[in-house]
Amino acid sequence: MNNILINVGVAQVKASSTPTVLRTILGSCVGICIYDRMKKIGGLAHILLPNDQSSGATPEKYAETAIPLLVNQLIKDGAKKEFLSAKIAGGASMFKFESNIALGQIGDRNIEETKKMLNKLGVPLLEEDVGGNTGRVIDFFLEDGRLKVKASGNEKYYYKV
Amino acid sequence: MQINIKDRLDSIINNIDQLPSIPEVASKIINMVNNPDVSFKQVADEISKDQPMTANILKLSNSAYFSKGKEISSIDRAIVTLGLKEVKNIVMVIATKPVLDKPVTGYDLDKGALWAHGLLVANISSNIAVLKKRKDVADVVFTGGIIHNVGKVVVSLYIKMAYRDILECVQSKGLSFTAAEKEIMGYNHLEIGEKILKKWKFPPVLQSIVRYYSEPDKAPAENRFEVCTVHIANGLALMAGIGLGSDGLYHEFNQKALATVGLTEPEINELYAKIPEMIKQMKDLQ
Repeated sequence: MNNILINVGVAQVKASSTPTVLRTILGSCVGICIYDRMKKIGGLAHILLPNDQSSGATPEKYAETAIPLLVNQLIKDGAKKEFLSAKIAGGASMFKFESNIALGQIGDRNIEETKKMLNKLGVPLLEEDVGGNTGRVIDFFLEDGRLKVKASGNEKYYYKV
Repeated sequence: MQINIKDRLDSIINNIDQLPSIPEVASKIINMVNNPDVSFKQVADEISKDQPMTANILKLSNSAYFSKGKEISSIDRAIVTLGLKEVKNIVMVIATKPVLDKPVTGYDLDKGALWAHGLLVANISSNIAVLKKRKDVADVVFTGGIIHNVGKVVVSLYIKMAYRDILECVQSKGLSFTAAEKEIMGYNHLEIGEKILKKWKFPPVLQSIVRYYSEPDKAPAENRFEVCTVHIANGLALMAGIGLGSDGLYHEFNQKALATVGLTEPEINELYAKIPEMIKQMKDLQ
């Protein structure tokens, strides 16, 4: 099958169905891949920060608001909440962040808020490829919900849905 | 160390024909703008000799990022409306794009990724300068941001050959990726970048940015603000995943750079949070 590749940028949320592949590149950001294994539809949220401290103008930017947005979008597209599951990747940190400012832990804080939101919405988290100092290119295949993570020249697949 | 790679890099930097080139007009303009004795008219005349450059400047003068709202239809108008420094920045964008907008496979960067990274670092850097009341260097750090990692274009091929060894060195010795490049290849991409800027006859402050952006402590005191600004902007862009390649986040974020530039925690948080909007602003330069 010929897959259609869609690039998901930072602070974007995209949902689609097979034969789409959703791709994004992650540093300290977290990519949240949610999939309905029965309907075979899914979506990817690429969040930059855990929570909105300001206006609320861009819900796609924050774990706290982007994850509910993605879940609602999938349900609108015909997904059933009980068939949804999630895989996440990213949340890396700078190798040496020689400062005590909170931005140095932004990767960890993004992961923490992501898990909190998934838990709150009752979407089980099945796989995670997070932390460390590595950049990650992730491909989320909507034909079967598998996730490919490319980091430091190595590729790894996550199949659970 | 991989001696064969060091030998090949030695031979590249000793033969400047092997380093990337930019149109001559760009080197001329960047030095003319720095010279207080040069008039608007002389700059306009110099640009007008290069027809493709002129056409491109007019196009970018009316782009979302550079436009001041008024339609610009001549170089004279562009200089009057945007100012000499901004027109110089436009010349830099046009002149360096062919060098930087290429796949850089050694670092696992697809076509466009290094360029998008440079544009974002330029935008963040220029925002930092304005925020810190250093508008006088906003154009310098903008140009510096675009080209800070130009050396990657040249070392890419060798990174590809030495990647496993460099990563091993990062992990076993606790070095940053850039320090490990030097350990394995005899050079890092900053040193090669400096050679490229010498070839282009770019001013010393830009050479400093390219040479020291990932080790700002070593920058000469007179350029340290500019170097630290680009250092911070580069760190933020990488954390946001823009232009992030196989070297990942194996880089340092220097505490003293924040103090040198005088950025507070709320300021740096706000800059980071604004990255998606800054990327959008520059969409038509990609």
